[in-house]
Amino acid sequence: MNQHKEVLYGLYDDEEVLLKAVRKAKSDHLDIMDVFSPFPVHGLDDALELTESRLHITGFIFGAIGTLTAFLFMTWVFTRDWPIIFGGKPYFSAPAFIPITFELTVLFASIGMVVTFYTICGMGPGVTNPTLDDRITDDKFCIAFDVTGAEAKQVDKLRAFLSSTGAGEVNAKEI
Amino acid sequence: MNQFTFEAKQKTVLTGFMILGLVCLAITFFTDDALHTRFWTNYLHNTVFFTGIALMSLFIMAAFTTAWAGWYVGMKRIWEAYSMFLIPGLGLLLVVILGLWGHLHHLYHWADAEEVAQDAVLTGKASFLNKSWYTFGTLIIVGMWIFFAYKIRQISIDEDANGKGFADNFRHHRRIRVFSAIFLPIAGFSSAAMIWQWIMSVDAHWYSTMFAWYTGASWFVAAMALTILLLIYLKGLGYFEHITQDHLHDLGKFLFAFSVFWTYLWFSQYMLIWYANVGEETVYFFERMQNYKFLFFANLVINFALPFLVLMRNDNKRKNGPMVFAAIMVFVGHWLDFFLMIKPGTRHTAMEALGGHGDHAEHAISFAMGYTIPGLLEIGTMLGFLAFFFYVALNQLTKASLVPKNDPYIKEATHHHVWPYIE
Repeated sequence: MNQHKEVLYGLYDDEEVLLKAVRKAKSDHLDIMDVFSPFPVHGLDDALELTESRLHITGFIFGAIGTLTAFLFMTWVFTRDWPIIFGGKPYFSAPAFIPITFELTVLFASIGMVVTFYTICGMGPGVTNPTLDDRITDDKFCIAFDVTGAEAKQVDKLRAFLSSTGAGEVNAKEI
Repeated sequence: MNQFTFEAKQKTVLTGFMILGLVCLAITFFTDDALHTRFWTNYLHNTVFFTGIALMSLFIMAAFTTAWAGWYVGMKRIWEAYSMFLIPGLGLLLVVILGLWGHLHHLYHWADAEEVAQDAVLTGKASFLNKSWYTFGTLIIVGMWIFFAYKIRQISIDEDANGKGFADNFRHHRRIRVFSAIFLPIAGFSSAAMIWQWIMSVDAHWYSTMFAWYTGASWFVAAMALTILLLIYLKGLGYFEHITQDHLHDLGKFLFAFSVFWTYLWFSQYMLIWYANVGEETVYFFERMQNYKFLFFANLVINFALPFLVLMRNDNKRKNGPMVFAAIMVFVGHWLDFFLMIKPGTRHTAMEALGGHGDHAEHAISFAMGYTIPGLLEIGTMLGFLAFFFYVALNQLTKASLVPKNDPYIKEATHHHVWPYIE
């Protein structure tokens, strides 16, 4: 599924140094593939110029589907398919449907968002995720560049950038 | 600008609206039925509504302080100023109490000794629904709220003026927290008692255990809406530079969340009564759905559907336009909610006292301006009370720096960020 990639990455010891490096990369118009960090770094999304996730829009759509599913299904069951009188109420009793409508809305929205998120990220059962370096889940901060098919001159430039901005270690890896 | 100046122009406008409110009250009084029901219900409605907003402002502040929240301290002066309306609020309530003792009004069925004597339900409730409880309950409980509001504000201002270094500032803060923590349970229980007395007892036979929460949530949302409106207005004048769109975003979340919470309580109360279908309980909703159909459903649309859809999007909570729209809608909506709590019950009481419908006839009653929907006089009265509320609040705002510079959390509040993305 994933393309074979050659990655050049630098490991930083400190998140402040990382942030400075990311900002410099942006001003130098270098194309960062990804940044890895063991914990959320304040201001990193801003520095990477990430825009707001659109995941919550899918949440709204799935929620609306849940609302309709629950309400229409109950309406069909209690007025067409199997009408039973409960407590002397009419067959179509909207107030009685509300709690279940609410619950299905929440269920559809949450499960829909999880499935969407996993699909977009290419995650799921049986998928192995390549890591550049085990220490980026521990105490190192990493900036990675995609150098698949890049010229040697370009790779050298990136290598020089990484070491000049304070990366303690610069490695290349195929994933 | 850290020091608020209450300009002459603002005073003139607010005074103008206060006079409008007084004129409307006077017109209502002189064109009213023999018991002046429309006048007294309007008076009670607005008094209770705005006093409750003052209480909830204090409650919000106490809850945030107790929860170690830091983001709100940049705007806490607004809530301190709002909570000071409790003092004129008690004054306004005293008029209702005077009317109760002097038989000037007929708001409460239980206040009529002859009726209570022939009525088993009211006799059973007489140990709580009586004039003494109403009077001393109001005086003592609102008095307690005023004590806490005054104390918390006093310490907060003293911290500003006399705070000497971090340790001393934190000592002030800790005292505020102790008062807040004591106030919270007192407010929780005592506000319920006052809501039963002031509002729920206009339907003297009826009761609901959800009612106090439901009314409290209504006050809370209205207080949030007024906070947002005043903040945006004062920011437009150049004050509150330290309040950013991030603070507005959080206030928007509160407005959204508590609108949903209000709806949850509204529906819980409605559904249980609807399902159980017990006559003594359904009478409340039956009356409103028969004779106040438009308001009954408009209430849900304005207070649930509108803020839910408008404030659901993240970026709407960061824009002044949608926030002002939602805040105004929700404020008016909760004012209508209180209208719907008070008017039907008092109308029945008055009609019985005036000699009609003595048999509790449950057929459609005729349309009446000021009851079935709010008329111009009601709106004018509301604007008068609103102006009075803001006059008191803005006057209080002048008495302290808008930035509580010695609050230990002020740094956290100025650096509050909830939005990691580029706008």
